Amino acid sequence: MIDERIYEQFKQIGRDLYTAGMISSHGGNISMRVGDRVVIKRRGAQLGALQPHDLIETGIDKNDSGVTMASTELLAHRMIYLKTPALSIVHCHPRTAIAFSLSRDEIVPIDNEASYLLKKVPVIYEEFASGTPEMANNLASALQSYKIVMLRGHGSFATGQTLDEAFHWSSTLEESCQIALYAKLINEPFIEYRKNQEGYNKW
Amino acid sequence: MNGWAGKVLDIDLTTRAVKTYPLDEELAKQFLGGRGLGARLLWDLVGPEVEALSPQNVLIFTGGPLTATGYQTSNRFSVTTKSPLTGTVLDANSGGFWGMQFKKAGYDVLIVRGKSETPVSIEIINDKISFHDAAHLWGKRVMETTTALGQNNNKRNVLCIGPAGENLSRIAAIMNDGQRSLARGGPGAVMGSKNLKAIVVEGKTRPGIEDPERFKFMLYETRKLLRASPLTSQALPEFGTVVMMNIVNSVGALPTRNHQQSQFEGAEAISGETLTEKYLVKNESCWACPIGCTRVSKTDKVNGEGPEFETTWAFGAQCGIDDLAAIIEANSICNDLGMDTISAGSTIACAMEMSERGYVDSDLRFGRADLLAATLEDMGYRRGLGAELSEGSLRFAGKHGHPELSMSVKGMEMPAYDPRGMQGQGLLYATSNRGGCHMRGNMLGLEVLGLPKLIDRFQVQGKSSYVILHQNASAAIDSLVICKFTNMGVAEEYFARTLTAVTGIPYANGDLIRVGERAYNMERLYNVREGFSRKDDTLPQRLLTEPVPEGPSKGWVSKLEPMLKEYYRARGWDENGTPKKAKLAELGLAELATG
Repeated sequence: MIDERIYEQFKQIGRDLYTAGMISSHGGNISMRVGDRVVIKRRGAQLGALQPHDLIETGIDKNDSGVTMASTELLAHRMIYLKTPALSIVHCHPRTAIAFSLSRDEIVPIDNEASYLLKKVPVIYEEFASGTPEMANNLASALQSYKIVMLRGHGSFATGQTLDEAFHWSSTLEESCQIALYAKLINEPFIEYRKNQEGYNKW
Repeated sequence: MNGWAGKVLDIDLTTRAVKTYPLDEELAKQFLGGRGLGARLLWDLVGPEVEALSPQNVLIFTGGPLTATGYQTSNRFSVTTKSPLTGTVLDANSGGFWGMQFKKAGYDVLIVRGKSETPVSIEIINDKISFHDAAHLWGKRVMETTTALGQNNNKRNVLCIGPAGENLSRIAAIMNDGQRSLARGGPGAVMGSKNLKAIVVEGKTRPGIEDPERFKFMLYETRKLLRASPLTSQALPEFGTVVMMNIVNSVGALPTRNHQQSQFEGAEAISGETLTEKYLVKNESCWACPIGCTRVSKTDKVNGEGPEFETTWAFGAQCGIDDLAAIIEANSICNDLGMDTISAGSTIACAMEMSERGYVDSDLRFGRADLLAATLEDMGYRRGLGAELSEGSLRFAGKHGHPELSMSVKGMEMPAYDPRGMQGQGLLYATSNRGGCHMRGNMLGLEVLGLPKLIDRFQVQGKSSYVILHQNASAAIDSLVICKFTNMGVAEEYFARTLTAVTGIPYANGDLIRVGERAYNMERLYNVREGFSRKDDTLPQRLLTEPVPEGPSKGWVSKLEPMLKEYYRARGWDENGTPKKAKLAELGLAELATG
């Protein structure tokens, strides 16, 4: 039985992801580590309108009947929980960040907020979608060192101690990419305002 | 290998033999230093047959790979031993200057074995080690001893015990640089049992940095974050740790009168705000610390460092005392006697309740600030009732037939957070490897302050995940060794990147937390070998059965049992709390598995 307090957190973050335009109607998924269990969105459920029965509970490293209904990205979530200190994961489809991921191997923010919070976001790529063991492994490895990672052309995976912390990194990345896009559109010379900014490239 | 000095100093006080040998590089990479390395070394050196106050127990002083590098708060060091208070593995750590100086003397580890026939002090000046007769210092208090041995913050640093350690009080601290303490669990008594009065260090070698450019960048980023956080740039410097008094009280999690209530009507009078307004002389910093949480306070009777939040709570709310001047004086007496303020205050509170209930014949009553100073003196010198109190609350209350009135876990008195108002904190206390302690991870950030984000403090399901992460992170930070307050403004990933810059060995954030998990399991293994198990992972009955009578936590008890079950499973431990072989293998500790 999933505690109502946990459901409320899922409901709030799912709704906010949808209203922020960071997922389509049925896209994205979020999860939380609960001891040796993982609570994750049910396959096909709408993150923006989660009901209590839309939360599925299963083992972090052991299957049970819960897996039959879990999100297709359960494998990636499990691998991240097993290989990193993450307690929550937000996977979403931030549009501007996805657009940037199509042309670069890492996203280095130019705005102050994301420079401060994220420093650098790696972009990783696998031939097959994120439900494969290869991609799950790559994702988890990258998230050992970074709090948010982009899958090229697909979306972001962010980790945190809480769902809202992982959401924080996700929305910061998308905001940062939107700012970078506007700056590109304005097309004027960039005035570097950050000290030691070369450190972010090596982050 | 940059980061580590690469050398162990091993001293046998019985024979006066001094050895130095290389630090095992693999152990260093696995455990880093400080608390983790100390626990691993203690496993080999002190088995279950050794009594804590016998010559066979050892004191293991350890720095870490960040110690003395100049990274923010890289001044700390640890002592590891078998605790005379709890019988568990004990790590206590302290700031100030001594740890930095010890590392600069060229060592990562100092092991002290055996027992000197007569009082002695050790002087370490780089590679020159000498013993000095300390008969003239035996019996002297901490400040007098420290001054006599030539304390000079950046040049020559003194670590010593006071009368409490000499008299084998089980709550005796080791003091360094005058008023900093390795306080909890009675390490001062272990030092006293060895007739070791002091260790003086002078060093001249700064540790090497593998990638100075990256290190400089991490210094810059860390400074930026610490300056940006109101907690580390304003609250702690302005009010000290006592800033937490009003906050914890406001949510109904401030244990009061030996945990009979969880809100104290006199909190404002003993708050950080009152301390700053009425008694603060100035704030000070440990070496390489930009935060400066140390208070220097003055009353009509004393002028010195402190008090901290936990101290102020222990002599304040826990004893029903709202006289801040008396609390400052009690703190000063403890520092000079070399005694743990948390255990001392909570033990006195226990005695106050026992006296009020007629279980003990004494004048101690809640609110009797006038008796604090004399009671502490009696404890330090083992006089009268003080002799019983110097054993800690569990032995004291047990002797008089009411062990349930000791607010302790595994015999160590719990600090200033009521598990009934912070469910995660209760689980953390119950599973802490050294007993009731808030420095083996702390849920204050998540359950009260919103660091990094606020979670529901009454939530039970899922709490184990947070507790485990924070216990592991805490063990990692204690192994680096740096101050946990840095972590209030800077996330662990910064520490991992700094460690990489210093050592040249790639440590991802996940790797660093894994080091902490390894240390935590190492400590647990030690305790299991000593006979500790699930029966010891509990809280005082009061917190499990007596609901908070009023305030924001009214009606709550600690719901420990379901959290504990979830915790063991998530830890990869069996139902008795023993790490499973698979978990040990995962952590590289397979060779230590027994049974």
